[in-house]
Amino acid sequence: MTLGVALLIPFAVMLIGLLLWATRPPQTIALPGHDIFALLSQQRHCVRLRFILQALQPEDTEYLKLGGNRALMHALRADRRRIALRYLDMLQAEFKTLIEISRALAVMAPEVVAIEELQRWKLNLVFAMNCAILRWRLRLGLRPAGGFVAISRMATGMARHLEAAISRIAENAMTTPDFPEFPCNGHEGD
Amino acid sequence: MSEFLSLLDITWAGTTTLEFALLASLVWRKACRTYPFFALYVASTILQSAALFVLYRKPGLAAPTVWTIAWGTQGVVTVTRSLALIELARKVLARYTGIWALARRIVLWVGAGVVAYGLALSKGQYQWMVMGGVRGLELAMAAVIVTMLLFARYYRVPVKPFARAIAVGLCLYSSFYVVDYTLLKHVLQRYAEFWNFLGIMTFLASLLIWLHASGRYSFQEEESLPAAISPEIYGALSSEINLRLYLLNRQLERLMQMKERRP
Repeated sequence: MTLGVALLIPFAVMLIGLLLWATRPPQTIALPGHDIFALLSQQRHCVRLRFILQALQPEDTEYLKLGGNRALMHALRADRRRIALRYLDMLQAEFKTLIEISRALAVMAPEVVAIEELQRWKLNLVFAMNCAILRWRLRLGLRPAGGFVAISRMATGMARHLEAAISRIAENAMTTPDFPEFPCNGHEGD
Repeated sequence: MSEFLSLLDITWAGTTTLEFALLASLVWRKACRTYPFFALYVASTILQSAALFVLYRKPGLAAPTVWTIAWGTQGVVTVTRSLALIELARKVLARYTGIWALARRIVLWVGAGVVAYGLALSKGQYQWMVMGGVRGLELAMAAVIVTMLLFARYYRVPVKPFARAIAVGLCLYSSFYVVDYTLLKHVLQRYAEFWNFLGIMTFLASLLIWLHASGRYSFQEEESLPAAISPEIYGALSSEINLRLYLLNRQLERLMQMKERRP
């Protein structure tokens, strides 16, 4: 059996696994139209980025070591790392919300630009990966400022994609009398 | 071996009975109007069973002739299954014009890629090439179904229970067919009867899934049209989202431009 043929078996098994995963009930309920207003009116965590970056600067706590309070410095840094981890959770939740909104928009849009959708899928993957790396860096006590900036850039990119999509939808809203429904649940009728 | 062949005959008979039951259920519950190609596919499997029953018991036919006719019927079944799959994809995604346009392209690329891969692996005598080609098609169908379901899951598109049951049944059968055939050809050819038996059992499982779904779920909901959002709500919604995103974008851009500084 050649390698190419042998690969068919794990590929088929992988398809069965993916099938089982894809037919599971969804973990989160999609956004009903009116709730998008509420979600958008929530306070954004991105605005606290500069405080977090500042708090993670080693220089910010260096004076404690000079004053002979090494233990206090370590405790303070550990506290700040914990706060940064919580901030990261919030940032990730905010990104997920943006993704949810963009999904709802894509479902409503009479036309979806494939390249932008693919970019968003890629962005989503990269964001999740960067968050995981950043989380480990924080846990190991490494300096994560660069990672935070990268993640913030992704959020910015995400917002730009959404803005373009909304503009297209708004243009279509002027001409189309009716719109398809918001999907309210991945598996109706169960 | 004769006992095993009897078992094979029994499962074959059981499968044909279930095929009849499923078709009767689809006709009785008027699902043929909602899923005409799926009903056609079920009917084609019944006709194939009948044709093979007659073919294998007809004396005096040369083996190559039997082989050609048998695989010819398989070709017809594969075509009707492909049509059922296209129908299914349309049912699930076509109402959402934006993502349907994208899904259609991706699914076509995935399908074509997998078929090409399968055909590239089909070498040797022409019989093996035909069988390898069918394997490639089966794998492509499984890949297309999984891609479609992943797509629906990502965009939170509702998949109706009967449509989901069709997808699961088709995909399970196609995936197991690929595994069965690949192992049969390269590893376990001397256990061909056993692998045929497993193949029939897999199809039996798919039939049971479809029969259960056809008896349980309503087909009326399949035809229900999506409730439209009024243009006023929609316009207000998009304006609000636009504004919020613009503000968020501005905030982030200002943050990005800000230099880190010590207090």
